[in-house]
Amino acid sequence: MPPVWAALLIRLTGATLAGLTFGAIFGAVAGLAVAAGALLLMLLAHTVQLARLQRWLKAPAERDIPDAWGAWGNVFVDLYRVLRHEQKARARIEADLEVFSQAAEASPDGLVFLDADDHIAWCNRVAEQHLGLRGERDMGLLVTNLIRLPGFADFLASAQEGETLTYRPQDRKGKVYAIEAIRFGRDRKLLISADVSQVERAETMRRDFVANVSHELRTPLTVISGYVEHMVEDAAPDPAEWKQQMAMVNEQAGRMLRLVDDLLTLSRLEDEAQAPREEEFDVRDLIYEISAEGRRLSGGRHSITCEVVPAFLKGSREELHSAFSNLVSNAVRYTPAGGRIVLHWALRDGKGVFSVEDSGIGIPEEHIPRLTERFYRVDRGRSRESGGTGLGLSIVKHILLRHQASLEIGSVPGSGSTFSAVFPAWRIRPLGEGRS
Amino acid sequence: MPSSEHLSRQYDSELEDIRSRVMQMGGLVESQILTAIECLGSGNVELMDQVTDNDRRVNSYEVEIDEACAHVIARRQPAASDLRLIMAVSKIVTDLERTGDEAEKIARMARQIHDRGRLQTPRSADVSQAGLLAVALLRRVLDALARLDAAEAERIIAEDVTIDDAFRGIVRQLVTYMMEDPRTISTALDIVWIAKAIERIGDHTKNVAEQVIYIVRGTDVRHTVREGHAEPDGAE
Repeated sequence: MPPVWAALLIRLTGATLAGLTFGAIFGAVAGLAVAAGALLLMLLAHTVQLARLQRWLKAPAERDIPDAWGAWGNVFVDLYRVLRHEQKARARIEADLEVFSQAAEASPDGLVFLDADDHIAWCNRVAEQHLGLRGERDMGLLVTNLIRLPGFADFLASAQEGETLTYRPQDRKGKVYAIEAIRFGRDRKLLISADVSQVERAETMRRDFVANVSHELRTPLTVISGYVEHMVEDAAPDPAEWKQQMAMVNEQAGRMLRLVDDLLTLSRLEDEAQAPREEEFDVRDLIYEISAEGRRLSGGRHSITCEVVPAFLKGSREELHSAFSNLVSNAVRYTPAGGRIVLHWALRDGKGVFSVEDSGIGIPEEHIPRLTERFYRVDRGRSRESGGTGLGLSIVKHILLRHQASLEIGSVPGSGSTFSAVFPAWRIRPLGEGRS
Repeated sequence: MPSSEHLSRQYDSELEDIRSRVMQMGGLVESQILTAIECLGSGNVELMDQVTDNDRRVNSYEVEIDEACAHVIARRQPAASDLRLIMAVSKIVTDLERTGDEAEKIARMARQIHDRGRLQTPRSADVSQAGLLAVALLRRVLDALARLDAAEAERIIAEDVTIDDAFRGIVRQLVTYMMEDPRTISTALDIVWIAKAIERIGDHTKNVAEQVIYIVRGTDVRHTVREGHAEPDGAE
């Protein structure tokens, strides 16, 4: 028998016994009165406990659970146990939920959960950034009201697996997102947005590169084939004319060869994961070599001088020779005859700085950040006629990167430019003071 | 009563459907302006045709939404905020439809300019810039409508003057161009039309912003002078 019923039975028996006893001694009326009084007391006691339970239910809190004797006490103890159990379960669920939402927040992709009617149920911070949502404020709003890209509503309605929609927010230039809609649960949806700006940019760069290379190779090839065609059809060849034309063909072929060489150098520099061969060498010797090459290229049209300090540099002498001579040949190309070119090798706060200063035509400021891009040209016509391939500074940048060095460019249009390669201190070993 | 609850839920979904269609229409108009501006820069004939074709879709949106509004008024007798929403929506679609017309006008002018051989298009970069400004404002007002954000709508009303200023600046510069070289006059005039269309887009955007405030607060802020600056001319 459940304890509640047992307690009731005991009390009822007690009340009946008391009534019978009083009835036997003082008569029936007194006996009934005592029994009724006992029952009334029992009712009162129950009502008091009931009132306490009701009061507690209005504001349930664990520590306020009423305490009592007997059956009510058991009820309250059971209530306490249930409550504790619930609380533990809820804490566990909350912790699980927290882990889930943390995981969703940690996702590099934007996530938006939609309910059955495409209202936003939850989104992570990345989605807020990608799709211009505003977290808490936008919860419960129809997602198509906020993402109004034409076609998005249809895309969401069909939600085909593997289908993505490209989203280019107009207020953030250059950003491209791929949105995917996935069904889950019962007619709920998940929107995933991934930032594909880099992929898109790389794709554009690759396309531009191919177009540029083709164009650069085509130009000399057109000239060569023009001359060759003329020579093939020439009925009465004039040796003097032929010689002149062959010279042109030779020059153009040389240009193509230089371009292909530069391309190969670039791709080798890019592919080689290995660090450059480390050797310590005297930069002064390298600079004297390069200045001699520069003088040969200039053919006496420029004054080329060197200002060097004795300091050793650690790195690949071969690669740095190529980088430095690229800088010098640029200076020779873009400095008008009679100009001055100075090669510096100096120490600045322990760092090694190789710089080439010229009194050339200079570079307008807006072009400077893009100079190291492949085939980037400030003035298309002039740089090609001067024999550049458009890859020199890209090569320089790559070589310097491999030596943890940076390229600094300073220029004043009309009065000259300075290109400096700045090497980290740990690559430098100074050899006392003195100038040469 | 379950049946009345069912009715009211259906009513709610009708209202939400109207609002979401307005947002779709707004999104389409937004992309129309962007495409039209791109036409101006690139002279892409296909895109110009696309703008003209899509303008029909904008128009049919207007008709559909208006019908849906009339339907809700007749069947549900909306009151208070629901009625305000319906009233405002039917005005907003008119403004959006006209914005769409302006986009089409820009595309048409762009075609004229490019057909003429695009010898000189003075200030076309400035015009594109002003156009992007107008699109940004339109997008913000649509966001404000989706979020029922009256404070943002107020900011948009205040910012409309930047487009008016851009318009005046462009016209001033074009006048000097035309005086310097009369051969540019016909093109310059087309550009003035485009700039005017953009300025009108700004005004329509401002009207939409006023309706957003009306939906949220129930106050009519049309034709009121805001503290600080007077109503710019050209806005109704």
